[in-house]
Amino acid sequence: MDLIIEYQGQLLSGTWVTVKLAVLSLLIAVMFGLLGAWAKLSKNLLAQKTAAGYTTIVRGVPDLVLILLVFFGGQELANQIGSLTGLWDYAEISQFAAGVGTIGVVFGGYMTETFRGAILAIPRGQIEAGVACGMSRFTIFRRIIWPQMVRYALPGFSNNWLVQIKSTALVSVIGLQDVVYNGFVAGRSTRQLFTFMFAVLMIYLVLTAISDAGLRWLDKKYSKGIVRSEDG
Amino acid sequence: MSNASGDQAALEVVDLHKSFGDHKVIQGVSMTAHKGDVISILGASGSGKSTFLRCINLLEIPSAGDVYVAGEKIRMHTDKAGRYQPEDIHQVERLRARLGMVFQSFNLWSHMTVIENVIEAPIHVLKIPKAEAIEQGEALLQKVGIYDRKDYYPAQLSGGQQQRVAIARGLAMQPAVMLFDEPTSALDPELVGEVLKVMRDLAEEGRTMLVVTHEMGFAKDVSSEVVFLHEGMIEEKGDPKQIFQNPNSDRFRQFLSRTMQ
Repeated sequence: MDLIIEYQGQLLSGTWVTVKLAVLSLLIAVMFGLLGAWAKLSKNLLAQKTAAGYTTIVRGVPDLVLILLVFFGGQELANQIGSLTGLWDYAEISQFAAGVGTIGVVFGGYMTETFRGAILAIPRGQIEAGVACGMSRFTIFRRIIWPQMVRYALPGFSNNWLVQIKSTALVSVIGLQDVVYNGFVAGRSTRQLFTFMFAVLMIYLVLTAISDAGLRWLDKKYSKGIVRSEDG
Repeated sequence: MSNASGDQAALEVVDLHKSFGDHKVIQGVSMTAHKGDVISILGASGSGKSTFLRCINLLEIPSAGDVYVAGEKIRMHTDKAGRYQPEDIHQVERLRARLGMVFQSFNLWSHMTVIENVIEAPIHVLKIPKAEAIEQGEALLQKVGIYDRKDYYPAQLSGGQQQRVAIARGLAMQPAVMLFDEPTSALDPELVGEVLKVMRDLAEEGRTMLVVTHEMGFAKDVSSEVVFLHEGMIEEKGDPKQIFQNPNSDRFRQFLSRTMQ
């Protein structure tokens, strides 16, 4: 316990990196998920195919491979472009940006499917009723589709989010000092790996428990109008 | 055309056509509803009666023909791909708001309470202040006899109650015409009466209504005109007292004998 207190600075800064990574990549994932769902449901064939290709690739490849590819491969690519065009001598992709970007885009693929299913779960007639009242497409999205989509998407979204928090641990392989990286370094230098990994495990549990509470609150807020059997 | 004359029709449909691929569903139907008219549209399933109604507010885009709402023509043009399309979606939205629609399956917004369903479009489409919308909405709920359920959600109501809310939602737009698309077809038999009663009341107070229905009693007793569609064309139309007694068309006669027994 004393050791943990001694190393609390590293653990806390690592936790902060993990939280930032998770939240920022979630934002990207939600954006890509909404865009992807829109594209998959649009009548535009090109948009449909692009989105289908996107979800097939990012869901079919290990996250770890993509992270390594983006970080090391992206670095090489950037330098080659630099020397070809003569615009820059040396470019460096930040570990944080590579981690946030890759995890965000990968989970955007899962969010795409979650959001697409949620939109399809809204009875078509309710959208038609909005059209018949003279609502604009934007008003229909904001007032009818969005609130119900959130409700239908929440179970899948919660699942994605919990997996995503845990996936941020992968960025330690590209040297990003998240909670796993810092915990591992501290554990090795003190020869107390078990203690530190146990501490890291507890930190993840706290993070997911907080998320769970937030998601439950969202579920309550967006469950208006659902008659649950226990309500009688 | 009556929209050019002084006597402006609430709704006028001129030579409407609609095809799905090669299948011609509506083949040149014209119809005029003056203020206070109640027109019942009858026909066997597949006769195109629902499609016709849905073409009026452009839930389906007609393949040809014109629609005038309170004298204003919905501007259509043929786009580059050769499709007949509305020219200005904002005009379409504005005129849709002048046509209240009641669906077979109610289509209430399930995440909103009864009163929220009724005030939604007045607030977000007509931009009426919320307090005013609530006041009008509550009066309409009283009229359709469901004020005591105003804070319930649709899933907590019976089909008949939901349909009465849907009628109030349509009326809240203060429409020029109410369109009813088989409003009682999805209801249990014992719930049909309460919805028909509301519709009768509306007819009596002079609402202009187009009603696609299988309710022969309603068509006969309440409507000012009956139109019988067959294969996307008007097979017979006229005063209900006359054509129910003495149909000109054999098909309408057969239809009556099948449905009235």
